[in-house]
Amino acid sequence: MDTNKIILITGTRKGIGRYLSEYYLEKGLVVIGCSRGESDLAHPRYEHFCIDVADEKRVVEMIAAVRKRHGRIDYLLNNAGIAAMNHSLLTPLSVVERIFRTNVFGTFLFCREVGKVMAKSKAGRIVNFATVATPLKLEGESAYAASKAAIVSLTQVLAREFAPFHITVNALGPTPVYTDLVRNVPKEKMERLLQMQTIRRFGTFEDISNVLDFFLQDGSRFITGQVIYLGGVS
Amino acid sequence: MDGKKIEEIVITAFNEYFETQDIQGKVDADTVLFGEESALDSMGLVNVVIDIESFFHAEGYNISLTSERAMSRKSSPFRTVSTLVDFIAELIDEASK
Ligand SMILES: NC(=O)c1ccc[n+]([C@@H]2O[C@H](COP(=O)([O-])OP(=O)(O)OC[C@H]3O[C@@H](n4cnc5c(N)ncnc54)[C@H](OP(=O)(O)O)[C@@H]3O)[C@@H](O)[C@H]2O)c1
Repeated sequence: MDTNKIILITGTRKGIGRYLSEYYLEKGLVVIGCSRGESDLAHPRYEHFCIDVADEKRVVEMIAAVRKRHGRIDYLLNNAGIAAMNHSLLTPLSVVERIFRTNVFGTFLFCREVGKVMAKSKAGRIVNFATVATPLKLEGESAYAASKAAIVSLTQVLAREFAPFHITVNALGPTPVYTDLVRNVPKEKMERLLQMQTIRRFGTFEDISNVLDFFLQDGSRFITGQVIYLGGVS
Repeated sequence: MDGKKIEEIVITAFNEYFETQDIQGKVDADTVLFGEESALDSMGLVNVVIDIESFFHAEGYNISLTSERAMSRKSSPFRTVSTLVDFIAELIDEASK
């Protein structure tokens, strides 16, 4: 991967997004991150924006600022996401709304705004974040799984709409990875979930960056609209 | 920013796009932007809209031509160059309030 490339990653304060920021900084890229909270990642090539990914006005402003400063964006990782484990019969609509706002609306907005910047330079790679909860049809995760199903659909349609601009749009569906997102899931439940995978273990941060590297490498220009699930889930 | 300047920016964006695509003809205020009379296909229009937006963003006006207002109008602001210019003037006016 070329150094001096510019990668925009959403949800970089902690978890997978934080790991990916450090991973791409290490490789020499300029990393532009965002999350609702402040980040304590200090690096000369890291820039942080405190925004909610579903806040249209702030997203438009952020991308305009990035465009002004850097003139282009090479890669976009729509990592920001939230989950909630609950039986549907016990789930308030406000929770469903919150999940859809961050996961679906946030992903859509970044694809749209960054897509325009990439379209201008007739190049770009976008990777959205799905989950194995969708194909495994996990009980207790209806809103989360449905929001990520929407992301898969978005990925496939945008792949077509963006193809004339030489932008690829793919998705990565991680298995559980040990972050705050899954820390509160009861142990037996998590064990049962892992048993549904083909390879029965937690995913690691490296499992994630491995797939991302594939989607982002120059040679993957003919790969678009694809969803790769970890752990042999399909 | 006054209407004349906006019109200039819009017309330049269309003419530049026409040039890169080898589309014959010049754009003026009455040029029809879509439909059978237009020299642009829908991808062409998307391209020019992105160019126009990014021009205004660079000037510090974070307007969005794809706002709900644009979609919900009885008659689309994208009919002709002059309707598009009026619409942009409205957006800029509103943004500066
Ligand atoms: N961990 C897993 O097991 C797993 C499995 C499958 C898929 N995934 C997906 O992987 C992605 C990352 O998950 P993770 O495990 O790293 O989660 P995490 O540890 O909970 O981190 C989520 C990150 O997103 C940011 N964020 C959340 N809502 C936001 C919003 N509305 N606007 C801006 N930033 C927001 C958070 O920062 P702030 O709180 O400061 O906003 C945080 O940096 C998600 O899309 C998730 O669905 C994770």
